Amino acid sequence: MNLKLQITKFQPWLTFVFRLILGGVLLVAGGLKVTDPYASATSVRAYQILPVDLANFLGFVLPFAEVVIGIFLIVGIWVRLNAIAGGALMVMFIIAIGQAWIRGISLDCGCFGKGGLLETDELPVWNYTIEIARDIVLAVFAFYIYRFPKGKLGLDK
Amino acid sequence: MANGKSGDKGLRAIVIGMIVFVITITGVFIYFDKKPVTNVASPGSISKADGSGLVFNPELTNQIDIWEDFQCPVCARFEQTNGDYIEKLIEEKKAKVVFHTLSFLGPESVLAANAAACASDENKFLGFHRAFYQNLPAENSGAVTADYLVALGQGVGITSDKFKSCVANLDYNGWVNNVAASGGEANVNSTPTVFVNGKEIRRATSGADLGDYFDPAAFARAVEGK
Repeated sequence: MNLKLQITKFQPWLTFVFRLILGGVLLVAGGLKVTDPYASATSVRAYQILPVDLANFLGFVLPFAEVVIGIFLIVGIWVRLNAIAGGALMVMFIIAIGQAWIRGISLDCGCFGKGGLLETDELPVWNYTIEIARDIVLAVFAFYIYRFPKGKLGLDK
Repeated sequence: MANGKSGDKGLRAIVIGMIVFVITITGVFIYFDKKPVTNVASPGSISKADGSGLVFNPELTNQIDIWEDFQCPVCARFEQTNGDYIEKLIEEKKAKVVFHTLSFLGPESVLAANAAACASDENKFLGFHRAFYQNLPAENSGAVTADYLVALGQGVGITSDKFKSCVANLDYNGWVNNVAASGGEANVNSTPTVFVNGKEIRRATSGADLGDYFDPAAFARAVEGK
C-alpha cells in the first residue's frame, strides 16, 4: 500500500525524466544527422536490409523524424503517440544492429552521425553490445511513458 | 502550467505550431540545398554518365571507379599503396579512371572535394590528390581550411587566383553534393570502394589478408583482369 502510494507519487516525475532522456537522445541523434542527409543515407545503406532507393529515402527522413519525436517528447505533446513512435524506432534499431551482428556485417551504427561499413571484417562486438543495450533501455523508457503518459511539465492534458 | 484550461490550450497550439513551422522551414532549406541539380557548376573533366566523377582518359573502355573521401585514412593508405600505379595507368593511357570524391565524413571533406575539383580545372588533380593524402590531417580537426588547401595547391604548382577564389568560395559545392547523391545511387557504403569495369575488387576478409585494396600486386591483377 505504502509502496504503491510512493510509486504513484513518483510516477509523474519518472515519466517526465524518461521523456527528457528518450526525447533528448532522439533530438541529439537526429540533430547531428539532419544537416548531412547523404551521410545519413550512407549509414542506412550499410545495414544492407532495404533496397538501395528505400534506404536512401529512409536516410533522408529518419533524422527529421527523430528531431520531431524528440521535441514532442521533451515538451510533452501527444506523449503516447510519440512514445510509441520512439519505442518503435528503438526496436527498429535493435533489429537493424542485431541482424548486422548476426550476418557478420561490421559497421558503424551511424546513430549519432556518419556511419557506414567499417574497413575491417572484425565485428565491433563491444559497440554492438552497448548500442543494443542502450536501445533496449530506451525502449523500456518508451514503454513506461506509453503506459503512464501523465507526467510533470508536459503540455498534454 | 496547471491552471487555466484555455491558456494551456493556447500555449499548446503555439508550441505545436512553432515546432512544425521550424522543422518544415529547416527541411525545405536542407532539401533545396542538398537536392542534386543538373545545371550546377562542375569542373571541366567530369562525366555525368559516370556519376559526375572526375574522369581521366574518357575514351578508353577499361574503367576503374574510385570512390573515396579525402578525410578517410584508409583512402590515404589506398593512395599510398596504389597511387603510383594508378597515375601510371592514366599517363600511359591504359585505363579510364574515374575519381568520385565523397564527403560523408564531414564539412572538411566537402572543402577538400571542392578544392580537388578546383585543382582539376588546373590539370593538377592528381598532384593535389597525392599531396592531400600525404599530409592527411586528423578528421574534422579544423585543420582543413581554404588557406590550407590553397597552400597545398601552391605546393603542387597551382598559383592562379582563380584556384584561390574557387577554393574559398566553394565554387563546386553543388557538384560535391551531386557526387554524394550518385554515391547513394551506386550503393557505395564505405570508402575506399573501387570498381574495375563495374565490379568491386576483393575486400580483405581478415587482419592478415590485404585483399585487392592494399596488396599492390593483387590490385594490378584485378585491374588487368587476371
